[in-house]
Amino acid sequence: MRKQIPLLLTFLAGTIPIFAFFVPERHVGLVSTGLDSWLIIVYGFALLLGVVNVVQMNTNKIKRRASGWPYSIVLLAGLVIMGSFGLLGSFDVFGGIATRPDGSSTPFNWLYTNAFLPLQGTMFALLAFFMASASYRAFRARNVEATILLIAALIVMFGRIPFGEMVSKWFPIVTEWIMGKPNMAAQRGIMIGAALGAASMALRVILGIERSYLGIGKGE
Amino acid sequence: MNLDRLMQIDRRIIYLFVAAGTILPIIFLLGLPVSTTPPVRMAFERIENQLEKGDVVLVSFDYGPSSAPENDPMADAILRHCFAKGIKVVVIALYPLGGLSEAIEELNKVAAEFPELEYGVDYVNLGYKDGAQAAMRKMNESFKEVFPLDVNGTPFDEIPMMRDIENYGDVKLVATLATGIIGEWWANLVNAQFGLPVIVGPTAVSAPKYYAYLEARQMVGLLGGLKGASEYERLVMDKYPRLAELYATPGLYTATKGMDVQSIVHLIMIAFILFGNLVYFTQKRKPRAAK
Repeated sequence: MRKQIPLLLTFLAGTIPIFAFFVPERHVGLVSTGLDSWLIIVYGFALLLGVVNVVQMNTNKIKRRASGWPYSIVLLAGLVIMGSFGLLGSFDVFGGIATRPDGSSTPFNWLYTNAFLPLQGTMFALLAFFMASASYRAFRARNVEATILLIAALIVMFGRIPFGEMVSKWFPIVTEWIMGKPNMAAQRGIMIGAALGAASMALRVILGIERSYLGIGKGE
Repeated sequence: MNLDRLMQIDRRIIYLFVAAGTILPIIFLLGLPVSTTPPVRMAFERIENQLEKGDVVLVSFDYGPSSAPENDPMADAILRHCFAKGIKVVVIALYPLGGLSEAIEELNKVAAEFPELEYGVDYVNLGYKDGAQAAMRKMNESFKEVFPLDVNGTPFDEIPMMRDIENYGDVKLVATLATGIIGEWWANLVNAQFGLPVIVGPTAVSAPKYYAYLEARQMVGLLGGLKGASEYERLVMDKYPRLAELYATPGLYTATKGMDVQSIVHLIMIAFILFGNLVYFTQKRKPRAAK
């Protein structure tokens, strides 16, 4: 029963929405929308599970003094501080989680604006430096395909900035053509392939062929 | 000239150039002109020409602080456009890592620029809900079941503008400012299944994949990255002089100012790529010349 019940639940949770999509019958639709409500609740618990997992992993790392363990202390401290102020703010302690009516920041808002936001922005901004360095070292016209990629990239990079149009009105036009035609075609092919793969995997999960999510292998 | 040394140039020199290219245009504004492209014009014209005063637009904050420099100007421009035209705005957030805070900050900032508008009557923030796809599907049935309270804890039925808004049928358009895959879900789930027109404002790195949805008419507009945001700002400033004055406020971060930085950094990267290839080909030819 430990295997059968989850497999049955997976089968029902997978087939009911599919059935409801194709069968415009009111009661089937009601069951499907009911499942949507349950899914929202389950997602909430999945977030909680993520927090528990992060705490467990980093606590073990600190206990074992594994490589990088001081960063785990920083991570857990950040989690506890932000999480505490956020939780208290949701019960309107300290005035909530946004700015107060008088314009002053609540502790959560202050931490968000002055710590979380700049740190997240910095992480993303670092990519620009890494990209510049990687482009210099790796972006070489070694063969025909690489040369085509290089030329397309240079045209798009130049066409997306005002200097491109200052040099020639054709840069932005060719840039939009590259994005709207060959890029679009390639993206469409990738998305169709990915969607077929996802549909195939979903079918395997619904039919109980793929059971790795239960922590057991195929055929067990 | 030692070509091997040029091929292995210290990356800190490259970082220095990029840093200079980033900092200097912030200090010495270039004021580069911004031209518009069809995907952004489509988004603008959808709101400007096909929506009337009193129509409802759903604005979904599906990004966090990491992409805020790109997505915040898009959100601000779309909110300002809607408010200037008298369109009612329902704000939600589906991104767990900061979507709610971004929604609160940007909506409060822009709403303060329109003191004649009233919260709950002209705009509302329904807050964050997890389970993005499930929430999207559920909103087709009932907004109230997904967002029983707004971000201030006010019950749904006590919000004046929400009395006439039950589900997607009462909304004319959704504009999602997205990072990652959430924008795709609006196009391939909400538009495909429920027919709600979708405008997506993705980050520049995600923008290429949305052209497929745009071509397939699953989206009615696309604001790709900081460039897309600057184009939308341009269109909004050209149409509404009041907003043009606002955008000229010193110290206000706008995508148009950000494009100065992006332009210089792009030029630096192009220069390094061309230089790197020049050195590469020169190095390749040298052994042959020696033979």
